[in-house]
Amino acid sequence: MSYQKLFDTKISSDSVKAWKASGKKAMGYVCCHVPEEILYAADVLPVRLRATDCVDSSDAEAWMSSFSCSYARSILQYLMNGTYELDGLVQSQGCMMQARIIDNWEHIAKVNNKEQFTHFIGAPRMNSDITVKFYKEELQEMADALGKFTGKAVTDEAIKAAVAKTNETRKLIAELYALRKEKNPVVTGAEVLSICLAQCDTTVDEYNAMLKEFLAEAKTRKPIEGRARLMLIGSALDNPEFIKVIEEKGGVVVADYNCFGERTFGAPIELDDNDVMGSLAKYYLDRNTCPRELDNRPAIHKEIVELCKEYGVQGVVYQKMQNCECWGGETYYLEPDLKAIGVPMLQVEREEQMANAGQLAIRAEAFIEMLEK
Amino acid sequence: MANTPKQNFDPTKPVNMIDLTCEQVDSIYQHMLTKGMPEIMWTVDIQKSSWEEIRDAHKNGKKLVGFGGPVPVTLLRAFDCVPFFFDTIPTRIASMEDLCSRFIDETEKYAPTSMCAIDKAQLGVALKHELGVELDAFVHATVPCDSARIAYPMMERLYDCPCYTFDLPFRHDDKGFRYVADQIQAFVPWLEELTGLKWDDERKAKFKEINELSNEAHVYLKKLSDLRKKTPCVLPGRMLVLNEMAGFLPGTQMLVDMLKTQLEMGEMLADMGMTATKCPEEKYRVCLMQNMLWSNTGIMDWMEKTYGAITVMDGFGYQEGVIFDDLDNWERVKYQTAQMMLFAPMIHGATGPTDYWLKVIDKMYEEYSVNVSIFMGHVGCKHTWASGKIVTDYIQEKYGIPTLYVDVDAVDPRYKSNDELRAQIGEYMESVVGAHNYRKDA
Repeated sequence: MSYQKLFDTKISSDSVKAWKASGKKAMGYVCCHVPEEILYAADVLPVRLRATDCVDSSDAEAWMSSFSCSYARSILQYLMNGTYELDGLVQSQGCMMQARIIDNWEHIAKVNNKEQFTHFIGAPRMNSDITVKFYKEELQEMADALGKFTGKAVTDEAIKAAVAKTNETRKLIAELYALRKEKNPVVTGAEVLSICLAQCDTTVDEYNAMLKEFLAEAKTRKPIEGRARLMLIGSALDNPEFIKVIEEKGGVVVADYNCFGERTFGAPIELDDNDVMGSLAKYYLDRNTCPRELDNRPAIHKEIVELCKEYGVQGVVYQKMQNCECWGGETYYLEPDLKAIGVPMLQVEREEQMANAGQLAIRAEAFIEMLEK
Repeated sequence: MANTPKQNFDPTKPVNMIDLTCEQVDSIYQHMLTKGMPEIMWTVDIQKSSWEEIRDAHKNGKKLVGFGGPVPVTLLRAFDCVPFFFDTIPTRIASMEDLCSRFIDETEKYAPTSMCAIDKAQLGVALKHELGVELDAFVHATVPCDSARIAYPMMERLYDCPCYTFDLPFRHDDKGFRYVADQIQAFVPWLEELTGLKWDDERKAKFKEINELSNEAHVYLKKLSDLRKKTPCVLPGRMLVLNEMAGFLPGTQMLVDMLKTQLEMGEMLADMGMTATKCPEEKYRVCLMQNMLWSNTGIMDWMEKTYGAITVMDGFGYQEGVIFDDLDNWERVKYQTAQMMLFAPMIHGATGPTDYWLKVIDKMYEEYSVNVSIFMGHVGCKHTWASGKIVTDYIQEKYGIPTLYVDVDAVDPRYKSNDELRAQIGEYMESVVGAHNYRKDA
């Protein structure tokens, strides 16, 4: 097997087709608060929807308006234009823009007489015993709905089997990220994002196999000499081209806080045999991926600061999607925290479509020059 | 100089937001007194009382609790606190362009301009430390939107006082109500610790009295809503804005008194075959979706005068009106308080699936005989914009009414001028609706 697929950022339907050829279902999901393990336990291939390479979201804009974020809009566009041909959609309300994807998709599908399975789970925005209990019930409801849809009941044993595989992914991703801690890493930030994105539409077995193969060969790669070690944080980024523009100016993105990066994989899940669904709920609420929750901001800021130290980061690039309020307000408290450890921050706005690459390149170059002084 | 906005304060000096607001409301009050308008003093009485209650909370020995989003306000009152709804800051000062801009601009130094101006204004007050009163606590919800979710955690840290957060779910059904009810249960010991008061018989008796007042207010609100269903509509569009106070003053005598007086006046006018609207004759019954345009409530007067178009209902004015049906049953009261929180105006339609909003649309369009539909879309309310086509297609298909989309900023008057807004609405009224312009007759 070749691991080259890890570097192909295009949305692939190969795995979906192969999976469905065996009579099983493939389901799209939006936001990393939908546990993949439950989908696998129902014999469903989870496909995390993304908008990579979407250059025109005008059909979706008619539904979601130009005031919506172009990431959410572009995912809807891909559902509308058939880029994704799946058996249904499961979603949680990562942010309110994303939450409207399922609403619009349900209505569009209805208009076109193509109604399909949809399910929404409410992911709490606070972390406490009460909210974990609620989330657990939401996840159980999702498991029951999927079981009914596929005819395969979701059992604790099936969840455990799925967790064993996704935990292996988590360990491999941790190995991948460890490569970035080297003085001269052997992978670029753009490559790492590509590798992470490949997980979105590949089966866990295939993905783990490719990742293992890549990691075995990675140490033979030529080390990269960059002018500055950078960390990238902010809105959901599913376009490695964005990082490439920065890296072409001499920066090396060695760390990230992005829901398509390591954050989405997180540390291995430890299941409580007596409460499998409850421990899954707790894991997904404890894991910080973005400031969608109201009580995790100080923890996120601390994690970013710690990552800066761990990866020897010299500067942070904080990218915000236009109309993304989820990641809109971190400057006030985060910037002083970073200043305290001598790490400056560059803020840039972007759209899903790479419309401002030239401006980004100029700003990135100036930032890198500043870091070099 | 005619177009120079009135200067409400000295921009070179710190501002005391509460004092400025109280002064502004008082000057309106004095103006109405001197102009001899006793029959409508009740419209400003409630504003004066509510702002002065906040300003004087500590003087009166009460705890002052700021809140954002839907929270159990009646419980706060039962524990002898004065609840201060932070959304009333932007909605009250929206007409004072210089003051509103001061706070919005401050927030934009740290947060995106696309953030909702309602949240920008209240966060700006906190960032500039110009609230003018000390808070004893801050209670907020995780709704209505991502903008609020930027503002509230920052305000929590800036006000540096005890804080309690309610996680409000996307689903507004039995499971959702029970989830919120569980959090209300946990809120009680937190309030005991904050206030030093016990959840004992005395507190419970007070809570019951407050809920009785809440019920009374909702009965009046329901009657007022029914009155608005009559053709012609007796009460002007502006009253919808005033009635929003029901959302943050439940369980108060001042709210009951205001609604009672409004109803008496409305019924009297109806009996006399008169209306309090500015319509030369009622030709159109308008539904405004989404937020109210606090920065320019005069637009409704203009629509009445110019086209005989009365705003019969709006997304904020529409209240589900939960009436407590067993005040001695704590479990039931908690559950219904949770319902009240999730059915709050624009929470019911905007923070859950779009289908909830469609249900509200059905009630408004069917019961109020709506024949003009305007999506007055606050630009900060992106999640409702993202439902816009679903909603307006539904209205077109079910009611045969084409909807005008107008983008506005509900509190930042700099976004769109009055003339531009009038031109957009006027063009729609005359070319799509085919309305006659009464002003051209003059």
